[in-house]
Amino acid sequence: MDSIGFFFFLSSFLFWTYSASPPNFVLLFADDLGFGDLGCYGHPSSLTPNLDRMAAGGLRFTDFYCTSPVCTPSRASLLTGRYQTRSGVYPGVFYPGSRGGLPLNETTIAEVLKPVGYATAAIGKWHLGVGANGMFLPTRQGFDHYLGIPYSHDMGPCRNLTCFPPDIKCFGFCDVGTVTVPLMHNEVIKQQPVNFLELERAYSDFATDFIATSAKNKQPFFIYYPSHHTHYPQYAGVEAAGRTLRGRFGDSLFEFDNTIGNLLTTLEKTGVINNTLVFFTSDNGPELMRMSGGGCSGPLKCGKGTTYEGGMREPAIAFWPGTIRPGVTREMASTLDILPTIAGLAGAKLPQVMLDGVDMIDILINQGKGKRETMMFYPTDPSEMYGLFALRLGKYKAHFYTRGATHSGTTPDQDCPVFAVLKAHDPPLLFDLEADPSEHYPLQLFGKPDLQAVLQQILQVKEKFEASMVFGESQISKGVDTDLEPCCNPQCSPKPGCCRC
Amino acid sequence: MTAALRVMSSLTLSLFFSIICCSLTEKLSNASSPNIIIMLMDDMGWGDLGVLGQPSKETPNLDAMAAQGMLFPNFYTANPLCSPSRAALLTGRLPVRNGFYTTNGHARNAYTPQEIVGGISKDEMLLPQIMKKKGYVSKIVGKWHLGHRPQYLPLKNGFDEWFGAPDCHFGPYNSSIRPNIPVYNNSEMLGRYYEEFKIDRKTGESNLTRMYLLEGVDFIRRQTEAQRPFFLYWAPDATHAPVYASKPFLGKSQRGRYGDAVMELDYSVGHILLWLKRLGIENDTFVFFTSDNGAALMSGPNEGKHYKLIPTCTQSFSLRVTGSNGPFLCGKETTFEGGMREPAIAWWPGHIKAGTVNFQLASVMDLFPTSLALAGLSPPDDRALDGLDLTPVLLNHPHKQGNRPIFYYRGNELMAVRIGQYKAHYWTWSNSLEEFNKGINFCPGEEVPGVTTHDQKEHTLQPILFHLGRDPGEKFPISVSSHEYQKVLSSISPVVEQHKSTLVPGVPQLNMCDMAVMNWAPTGCEKLGKCLNVPKSQPWKCDWPH
Repeated sequence: MDSIGFFFFLSSFLFWTYSASPPNFVLLFADDLGFGDLGCYGHPSSLTPNLDRMAAGGLRFTDFYCTSPVCTPSRASLLTGRYQTRSGVYPGVFYPGSRGGLPLNETTIAEVLKPVGYATAAIGKWHLGVGANGMFLPTRQGFDHYLGIPYSHDMGPCRNLTCFPPDIKCFGFCDVGTVTVPLMHNEVIKQQPVNFLELERAYSDFATDFIATSAKNKQPFFIYYPSHHTHYPQYAGVEAAGRTLRGRFGDSLFEFDNTIGNLLTTLEKTGVINNTLVFFTSDNGPELMRMSGGGCSGPLKCGKGTTYEGGMREPAIAFWPGTIRPGVTREMASTLDILPTIAGLAGAKLPQVMLDGVDMIDILINQGKGKRETMMFYPTDPSEMYGLFALRLGKYKAHFYTRGATHSGTTPDQDCPVFAVLKAHDPPLLFDLEADPSEHYPLQLFGKPDLQAVLQQILQVKEKFEASMVFGESQISKGVDTDLEPCCNPQCSPKPGCCRC
Repeated sequence: MTAALRVMSSLTLSLFFSIICCSLTEKLSNASSPNIIIMLMDDMGWGDLGVLGQPSKETPNLDAMAAQGMLFPNFYTANPLCSPSRAALLTGRLPVRNGFYTTNGHARNAYTPQEIVGGISKDEMLLPQIMKKKGYVSKIVGKWHLGHRPQYLPLKNGFDEWFGAPDCHFGPYNSSIRPNIPVYNNSEMLGRYYEEFKIDRKTGESNLTRMYLLEGVDFIRRQTEAQRPFFLYWAPDATHAPVYASKPFLGKSQRGRYGDAVMELDYSVGHILLWLKRLGIENDTFVFFTSDNGAALMSGPNEGKHYKLIPTCTQSFSLRVTGSNGPFLCGKETTFEGGMREPAIAWWPGHIKAGTVNFQLASVMDLFPTSLALAGLSPPDDRALDGLDLTPVLLNHPHKQGNRPIFYYRGNELMAVRIGQYKAHYWTWSNSLEEFNKGINFCPGEEVPGVTTHDQKEHTLQPILFHLGRDPGEKFPISVSSHEYQKVLSSISPVVEQHKSTLVPGVPQLNMCDMAVMNWAPTGCEKLGKCLNVPKSQPWKCDWPH
């Protein structure tokens, strides 16, 4: 445990050259992991040796954002490079029986890469819909292979499930009145309920096999690994359980980190590590209501469910030995930018739609300036009536509306819990995020013409952006049909209890 | 030319000279008694370093130092305020033992403003005094803060050289009511803050950090040439209010003036390490970086102004010039983690394995026995020591440190204890409601009900227990009725009982104040014509509001 590389400023001056074969991509996506949860982001008791190694040998972002403070919409934006409002993946999240899903006419990163010959695989938490006959599963959205739970692993009764060895039951009840969580291979249920103690090993093996096969076939590949870690209820198998100072949350994070280590080792062994961009980030801020069983937003305000920094600023690390120089970047970037970046590096065509992402290639390869100047903050339930809750322009962030969230409950800060009801701010609350990343001290505008000018500029950007925003038909509002819940024994009765195999 | 400028230019010259001659200096090999440099920051928080999660990029040199050395995320000071913390570092003993506390009030933080009568007791053994036995030459650069009256000054307490000031750099003062704080070169004053040694309160410009850097490097170079082992205690105070930086750094950070100060300190740390390499003594020099207490989070009510002019060490901050304590609760003055957990990096190429993170619980008092062990000296055996020798941890030798406790004192009261991952609060207090209502808040935005209390609350019968691994922010007390609580408490209680029953408190040095003892006429003032009239002695019992 003593030997964790933190920041090596090994100034190996490496220059990027287009390699003969297009690069591989490994996209790692944590669940409910906060800005302050990794050792390399200042957590005092987390154990994340492999992520720390990636940070030490790669580029660590300090100003990286997701697009929504909850899972589903954030994932839609990640895979499409578009705000969730355009694709209609709002409000809130999909449920096991949701009728909707990420619309099939949206183009995912996998679909961007297929035409240029990539092998694609998704592993873990999908959460972009299942639908009738699995019509929204990853296999219908450009992924050749899929192994995972197609939504959050708390979306099924977990009271009697084992989360830690030898037989420690999961904490709490999770969602009752629905089917237990299934493990799916492509479109077939392999196990229901899933065995949490063996799940990470299965994912790790699936991913490493996929890498080995693709490398052997000399085929470029894309792995999208949205992990269930560190979402509630935390779980871990024998290799991670009880190994950290941070209790069940720490063990869950450590288990994910172990898998990242396995992936890195496989990339090395198969000789493709120098031709692979590994990118790590998280879907939204920490679920503070879980108290010491939840994540940590470090110095940032509030967490999951809110449009404060803690809800949407995420840890992010880009690792590509020989191409990305080790360091830290303060450039603003977002999950929206991953699709254009991957498309650019792979030489693939961008989808012919309104994209909100800009490529980060200059930041990654040339330590250059980012193209992103703004970040838009939509609440969990975006609407045309309210529009943006907040907007960041350069170092300034203006809040037009603020609201606490259940997910951010139990924090001492009165602005975070659900009791902090929707509040409109006119003039908007303005923060200088560089001087005050914690959003503690709103700037006084009175007698400050320079700040008033900044605010005017922000309002102009907002107006222009909102004029360009066409809200897609809400997919989540299509509601739930319990018959659509994945069941390994569809003819059984009584449901949902009988769906066990 | 002012005195300060004279010092600067002569130093610059000698530095140029040293660049030329250093290549001729033979490489020394005194691994048996390595040089020791302790870098102690002032009010810098755990979360102020990039390597510990600060999003502003101000500390590339410290981050590199961590990458080349060992980072201690569980490092503590001995007291959440400057003077006692520094006294503990130099004596290896808790302030309640070495006398750096007060009994004027219960659980009050005391320090050494210039009206304090006391200082470091002559019965204490300071690190440089013992290091002398092995021929070490010792210098303190920067803030002393163990008493400003002649008998308490560094050269009377084991140091061979000093460049810096005895107190905080508050001011400017009207010389008739309060004198400005003197800056000393060895045992004589060179001038005063705001007079010869400028600190521009409006712009935040001051060259002090630069002077401290040059003084430190000059000392290192001279001792290296003379082939003498040295101990450098480098204690700049730019991150303490009023925060300052020199012109090249002003406006350069993204965090305002505080960030500028951090940037300049980081630059200086990098420069010192670079000099060790240039002189070829990096493998013979143990360097330790830390801070005296948590970042001061007090938010004053006057947002528009940058500072409030209050002449104490404890309250003078505006809103946005403060440091960061990362995920920890509250800050300076409190015995929550934010007040006492410190950034800490050990660096010794060739001896300490690069890029390591060590979760050992450690304390600033450990630097005392550790430095002695490195020098090949034994600690004094005639007194109780609170520090542990960290060399087995640093050098990765098989060792057993066991569950060493961390004691959190505020004045004369043991407020909390940490053993392993568990911390038990026996007393809680942020500050009084009276002070809080004046706008002084040690825990802005972080009030935890029943924990960050505004009255001194005793929990001795049922301590508030936290697991700092799961809950580093001390927000979720472990349920009293849980099995975990009972089990943990039964192992902590005997440690506390034993500590309390065997503790022999020192004579409190910080009880009396007197306007007559202020820096009216420091040694050397005659030569400069800077002596002021000393008022009549009227001692009173100092008032410590926190």
